Amino acid sequence: MSLRTFACLIAAVMCVPTLATAQTRSMFSNLANPSIGMNALFSGQAAHNLDQPYGLHFDEAEISLLSVVDPYWTFVSNIVFVGDGSVDPEEIWVRNTSIPGIQLKLGKIRGMFGKHGMLHTHAFPFIQAPVIMVNTIGEEGFKDAGMEAAWLTPLPWFAELTGGVYEGIDADDDHPLDFGSTRHDNIPFLGHIKNQFDLNDATTLELGGSFLQGRGSDEFVHSALGADVTFRNVPPKDSNRRGWILQGEYIQKGSRAGGTYVKEQHGGYASFQYRLSQVWWAGVRGEQARESFTDFLVDDVGTPIPGKVTRGNANIQWMPSEFSFVRFEYSHAKADNGAGIQPTDDRFMVQMSYTIGYHPAHAY
Amino acid sequence: MRTPIRWMLVLIAALLAAAPAYADLKVATSLTDLASVAQFVGGKHVSAQSLCRGYEDPHFVPAKPSLMKAIQHADVFVSVGLELDAGWLPLVLPGSRNPKIQPGAKGFVDASEGVDVLEKPTGTVSRAEGDIHPLGNPHYYADPKNLEVVADHLAEVFSRLDAANAADYAGNAKAFKERMEASLEKWEKQMAPYKGAPIVTYHTNFVYFANRFGLKLFGSVEAKPGIPPTPRHIAELAAAMKQAGARVVLYQPYYSAEASRQLAGKAGGVAVAIATEAGGLPGTDDVFSKFDVLVSSVAKALSGKSGGSQ
Repeated sequence: MSLRTFACLIAAVMCVPTLATAQTRSMFSNLANPSIGMNALFSGQAAHNLDQPYGLHFDEAEISLLSVVDPYWTFVSNIVFVGDGSVDPEEIWVRNTSIPGIQLKLGKIRGMFGKHGMLHTHAFPFIQAPVIMVNTIGEEGFKDAGMEAAWLTPLPWFAELTGGVYEGIDADDDHPLDFGSTRHDNIPFLGHIKNQFDLNDATTLELGGSFLQGRGSDEFVHSALGADVTFRNVPPKDSNRRGWILQGEYIQKGSRAGGTYVKEQHGGYASFQYRLSQVWWAGVRGEQARESFTDFLVDDVGTPIPGKVTRGNANIQWMPSEFSFVRFEYSHAKADNGAGIQPTDDRFMVQMSYTIGYHPAHAY
Repeated sequence: MRTPIRWMLVLIAALLAAAPAYADLKVATSLTDLASVAQFVGGKHVSAQSLCRGYEDPHFVPAKPSLMKAIQHADVFVSVGLELDAGWLPLVLPGSRNPKIQPGAKGFVDASEGVDVLEKPTGTVSRAEGDIHPLGNPHYYADPKNLEVVADHLAEVFSRLDAANAADYAGNAKAFKERMEASLEKWEKQMAPYKGAPIVTYHTNFVYFANRFGLKLFGSVEAKPGIPPTPRHIAELAAAMKQAGARVVLYQPYYSAEASRQLAGKAGGVAVAIATEAGGLPGTDDVFSKFDVLVSSVAKALSGKSGGSQ
């Protein structure tokens, strides 16, 4: 072996660790990591009529991961760590936009039902969700594993038709609708239509209708239907300083046995939010829910009972940046069970929201 | 009777068959400047429209479903890039259900590619500094030279998608750049007396213009990017402006005229409304007229003859 060959061999051996390091770096690259964001929500409540301690409360922390899977799918997830210590895989789904005109979603999804039901908790316009939500499709909307296809129709305005099928699941605190029948023909389904019109440069009108149906563990057909209307104003020259939202929604839950439809919980709300400046919002809401449950309508032993609940809310929100807000809210409510129980309820509430990392924009 | 009907059917079929030959490339953009450049480069083969209007803050475009509808059949989408449209485009693009213009598809264009990006953060990126852009300052369209880069980029994309008219696109891009160069010579002459002059802008979206024409950015009306000014910030900045002899405050129509005028008033200067995006003010319909008006406004303000408000 010549001296030159020997030197080359030594040099090659010395290069091996360098190559290995480079390879290791490449193998563990973080460039394809998903976008990560987190939101934390805290609140406090003072209500003299409730047997609850005052003080600041940790509501939830939501971790969002979002990334492109491959040329066909985008992955979206929201995993919620709830204040009681539980973890809720609230949304974990993939989206496909390869089919012209159609958006396909598969996984654990927030069903396209209504308007308020599409909002994440930190995007609620008021601290309390409308009473009718928790009594019909769920406080945070209808969430279930399934598949949805949303078709953007060729009509001259934005008209979207959505159809979805979901897993049959029993009713619980998060899912007031009983879709728990084990019959093989029980495939809960959804239909939704959303129309949006530009009334002028600044104001839009949105009209929506929703229907959801499945078979319950009692073998009856259970369903919910909803209608919503939203006027929204965002002046183009003041899009980050002015604007207002006028919104109303009605939801009805019912069941059908032996061909007879029984209307169960039903009601709605109307709300008005006004943007005072870049950092201040104010809002008022009125609502009524019938045959509904709420935490202050209880019998002598403290068991919740159904009745008519009427409530008004007013709030003001300080939003120093896009990533945090503090909100103060007052609500006055009264309930009537139709049999002499007519409690009233007054609450002062505060809520704080903080977001870090990447946070996808909320729907218009 | 049968013969005329047959001829009519043949005529309709012929018209339908001929339609694609006249079909334009439908181009949608984030910003009016990009639509303007796309129209110059595309000429008669392209119809370009911007989702954000010139008098609308490009950071805060409401992701209206009607915007999704507007680009449902677009062949090309031109994003300004550098995350300027990150607050609304991630909703609007998938909402369009148009596979041709999704990121990664042939019809999606990031117009910032090839642009020499300024103010790229070094070290840690933190929102303690306000709503900063981690990829660098995205307002590159305030420098005429950067629009030449965009023109070349668009000519390449249009040629790839519509090879039959590639020569037209290349020719149009060349003509656009020649006109821009000639205009730039004129604008540089107008701005020459004010090299080194200090200016204050509402937001940090003027660095490319300032660099091109040798102006000195003295401060921003906003306390930090995206954070509205506080009375203390206004008072401190006004005092500093007085001391340094900075007297011109520039603001776009979508920013607070009140805060800008307040600052100018305290500093003994003038606040002048400017358009950094085509269509932002009357008479700024395309990128050339935008720069004509912008350069005239800034030069006039710096000369002390501004019609701005104190």
